[in-house]
Amino acid sequence: MTAPVLEVEDLRVRLRTPRGPADVVNGLSYTVGAGETVAVVGESGSGKSVSVLALLGLLPARVATVTGRALLQGEDLLTMPPERLRQVRGPGAGMVFQDPMTSLNPVLTIGRQLVEGIRAHGDVSKQAARSRAADLLREVGLPDPERALDRYPHELSGGMRQRVVIAIALSNSPSLLIADEATTALDVTVQAQIIDLVEKLQAEHGTGVIWITHDLGVVAGIADRVLVMYGGRCVEDGTVDDVLEHPAHPYTRGLLGSLPDLAAPAGPDGEVPELTAIPGLPPPPTDLPPGCVFWPRCPVRADPRCETEQPPLAVVGSSGGALPHRAATWCAEEEVPRG
Amino acid sequence: MGDVLVSARGLEVHFPVRGGGKGGGVLRAVDGVDLDVLRGETLGLVGESGCGKSTLGNALLRLVPPTGGTVTFDGTDVTSLDRRGLKEMRRRAGMVFQDPFASLDPRRTVAQTVSEPLEVHGLRSGRRERAARVAELLELVGLDPAVAGRYPHEFSGGQRQRVGIARALAGEPDFLVCDEAIASLDVSVQAQVLNLLRRLQRQLGLTLLFVSHDLSAVRHISDRIAVMYLGRIVEIGPAAAVGADPQMPYTQALLSAVPVPHPAKERARERIVLRGDVPSPSAVPSGCRFRTRCPYVFEPCDDVDPALQPAGAPGQLAACHLHGVEGTPVTETPEGVTADP
Repeated sequence: MTAPVLEVEDLRVRLRTPRGPADVVNGLSYTVGAGETVAVVGESGSGKSVSVLALLGLLPARVATVTGRALLQGEDLLTMPPERLRQVRGPGAGMVFQDPMTSLNPVLTIGRQLVEGIRAHGDVSKQAARSRAADLLREVGLPDPERALDRYPHELSGGMRQRVVIAIALSNSPSLLIADEATTALDVTVQAQIIDLVEKLQAEHGTGVIWITHDLGVVAGIADRVLVMYGGRCVEDGTVDDVLEHPAHPYTRGLLGSLPDLAAPAGPDGEVPELTAIPGLPPPPTDLPPGCVFWPRCPVRADPRCETEQPPLAVVGSSGGALPHRAATWCAEEEVPRG
Repeated sequence: MGDVLVSARGLEVHFPVRGGGKGGGVLRAVDGVDLDVLRGETLGLVGESGCGKSTLGNALLRLVPPTGGTVTFDGTDVTSLDRRGLKEMRRRAGMVFQDPFASLDPRRTVAQTVSEPLEVHGLRSGRRERAARVAELLELVGLDPAVAGRYPHEFSGGQRQRVGIARALAGEPDFLVCDEAIASLDVSVQAQVLNLLRRLQRQLGLTLLFVSHDLSAVRHISDRIAVMYLGRIVEIGPAAAVGADPQMPYTQALLSAVPVPHPAKERARERIVLRGDVPSPSAVPSGCRFRTRCPYVFEPCDDVDPALQPAGAPGQLAACHLHGVEGTPVTETPEGVTADP
């Protein structure tokens, strides 16, 4: 593998809140290679969105303290002066958010929003930018791109809007694309179209992708690597096969057990077995438990250290591949494939 | 299970559209639905946004007035009920809404919210009896009765949804419509609420209409599944049959688009990616309404509006000419009018 597009090291984010300091991201380290897709998985409040907003300097400085290192093609995003960061955001890293309606400006045409991004990062004439914009819309599969340029966001369906947002994110051929719940608001058939599109563009341009989602089905389809977040920490990471087929952390196992399986065979009584829900709720970031973050909800708790001592992210199992399978738990379960 | 509790025949809910763009100014949210919900079953109603599934759920409870067809609840025509009859029906048919933040009054305590149906329907006389019943209901949905005095903002989304379920159960209903009741919850909490709904359905002998866009959840909780597309039910049958061997091309595409959390299976899976977008419900295609996106479209699809007919497993019905051309020729009826049940 060539040098990674992004190297994140010990990323920490602390937010000032009325209830005291909230440790939202607590020591996250990972890399994204060219053409690689890293899925960041977790539930609301696990810190997954904040961790990428922090990378791009999109958190308000008044309330957020960000520490660590985040090298985008060798340059540290976290210590970069704001002007440089603005230059980097387009061609370096593009971002696609969850809700295509709120990430587009409702009073500007699609064309203007695309042209703005293109001209901000290159000395291009309006005419050239406009034709580049039409090309981009064609590339993301928008029918009749020339006409679409003069349309407003409300005239497009949700799937079409998300294609426009992707076109904007890709307009400066970024080396890194960050998709934050990019298909969550979409119907499954449209989601399938968008995923196909991102995979195709990624293959063509060698873009590294960070795909943030809570949908483990999506992860299974697109990710090379998975990072499971809970309480602002990475509790498990590894290849998609290791993490989803041989989950080691009790939280990952619980998350997978919570999912109804479309193909689940009925039991002998003709019933689909009950889901193994995780009881309780994630801990508030203002009041994280001293030991394992998952301890208060954990059904295992097999080690006395669980309650008092934070488990390090350690290699589990014997995957033997270039990429270790790691989990932060005192109770890594044996490599039992999940049922 | 067996007899019919709620039944719709030729049900239509059309909304006038201002501006009268394409389609002549009528939005056909529900457009000719025949549906029987059997007593004691959980019927899953799935479809993508805009297919009319929520409107159908609302129309069955007369929360929106149908513009055509009939709905009967336990043998009584819901559309012709007077005030008293409607009130009694409201007691017997409850609703759990999608957004637990919007569906609870922020200024009323949990006890006030849950006991309101008791007061309205005169189910418990006296404050003490009502308080006891509220405690019982909260316990039933897995909440500590001690929280009765708290306000919605003190609860998480999943807990709020439990309050919403307790309120819906207060009138001891026979029928519960859950409209995207788990859509706004986190995965681990979704599982808690799904398990709760299934347990309550068994325990109380409820009849459940589970409206959702989440096929995996619907497959998990339902006895039967109905699939909706552009205002019409296009396939219905036992959950296992519809889930494993769908007979209508739309259902096939929909199921194939659901990602499964197993990398090897997911990579091997063949996805049917449909072309284009769903047509607007104010411009429904003539003939088969799925024909503009169907990979198998052939000659009769333009001309004959397909009726639901037996296909696949026993009890499975699909509205598709691949299983024999049956339905209403387009030329003989005005567009949008359905075949006789």
